Amino acid sequence: MWKFLLPFAAFVALVVLFAFGLNPKRDIHALPSPLIGKPAPEFALTDVLDASRVVSNATLKGQVYILNVWGTWCVACREEHEALLEIAQQHAVPIIGLDWKDERARARQWLEQLGNPYQAVAFDSDGRTAIEWGVYGAPETYLVDRQGRVIYKFISPITQKVWDHEFLPRIAAASRAGA
Amino acid sequence: MLVVALAGVMGAFSAFAAEQPVDANGQLADRQLQMRFEQIAKELRCLVCQNETIADSNADLAIDLRRQVREMLIAGNSDEAIFKFMTDRYGEFVRFAPPLETKTLLIWGAPFIALLLGVSIIYRVVRQRSRQPLDE
Repeated sequence: MWKFLLPFAAFVALVVLFAFGLNPKRDIHALPSPLIGKPAPEFALTDVLDASRVVSNATLKGQVYILNVWGTWCVACREEHEALLEIAQQHAVPIIGLDWKDERARARQWLEQLGNPYQAVAFDSDGRTAIEWGVYGAPETYLVDRQGRVIYKFISPITQKVWDHEFLPRIAAASRAGA
Repeated sequence: MLVVALAGVMGAFSAFAAEQPVDANGQLADRQLQMRFEQIAKELRCLVCQNETIADSNADLAIDLRRQVREMLIAGNSDEAIFKFMTDRYGEFVRFAPPLETKTLLIWGAPFIALLLGVSIIYRVVRQRSRQPLDE
C-alpha cells in the first residue's frame, strides 16, 4: 500500500508546488511592502516644476491619495504615463508624483511635452525619500488612506485595468472608512 | 605667487580631506567602521538585481543604500539598527541570511529535516538488504 501511496503523495505535492511556483501570473521579482498598514513616511521636497515650492505629504492628511514613483530614465514610466493622464481625468484622488533620481530640466520637459497628471511632483534627486518608502524600482505606486497609512503598493506600470480592479475598490473602501 | 596660492589651496584641501569621514577611495576613514560597513553591505540584497549584494552591485539603488549604511554607521548606529532600518522599509527579503524566528524556522530547519529523512531511508534500505541472503 505505502509503495503506491507515497510516490503518489510526492507527485501531488510537486504538482501543487509547481502550480504556485511556475504560475506565469506571479511576478517573482515583485516584493510585498512591509509598509502596508504603517504610517506613510513624510517628506518635504521641492516641486519639480518650481524649486521654490515645497511638496509635502503632510498637507494631505485626511485625504486618500496616490504616490506615483517615476523618472525620465524609466522606460516603463513612459508607458504608464498615458494611463496616468487618463486616470487623472477621472479625479478620483489626488495623484502626487515622486520624481526619483532625475534631472529637473528633463522632468520638466517630460511633463510639458507629455502632459502632467500630477497634482504636484516632489523632486527626490538623491533618492532619500525613495529609500524611506522602500522604493526599489520605477514605476511604483502607493495608496495612502485618510489616516495617512499606506494601504496598497503596486509595482510595475499602472494600466486602466489595474486602476479599475486594484485601485478603485480600495479607494472606495478607504473613502468610506474615514468619512 | 602662483606656488604660494597653490600651496594654500592644497593646504585647504588637505584640511578639508582630514575632516571627511570618507577618503578618496570611498572608504570610511575609521577602519573599524569600514570593516563593519563591508560586513553589512555583504549581508544586504540589492533589490534591483536580486541575487547580488549591495556591496557587489553597481545599480543606482545599491549605491544609495551603501551611502545610507555609511551615514548610519558614522551617526553611531548599531548593526542591528541598520538591519532594522532596511527590513522596515524593504522587508525581510533585503537580508541574505534571514534571522532565526518562528516563521523562518522551516528555512533553517529544512537541511536538518532533509538529513534526517536521508539517514532514515539509508537505515531502512541497509537493514532490509542485510536481512536478505546473499545471492553470490
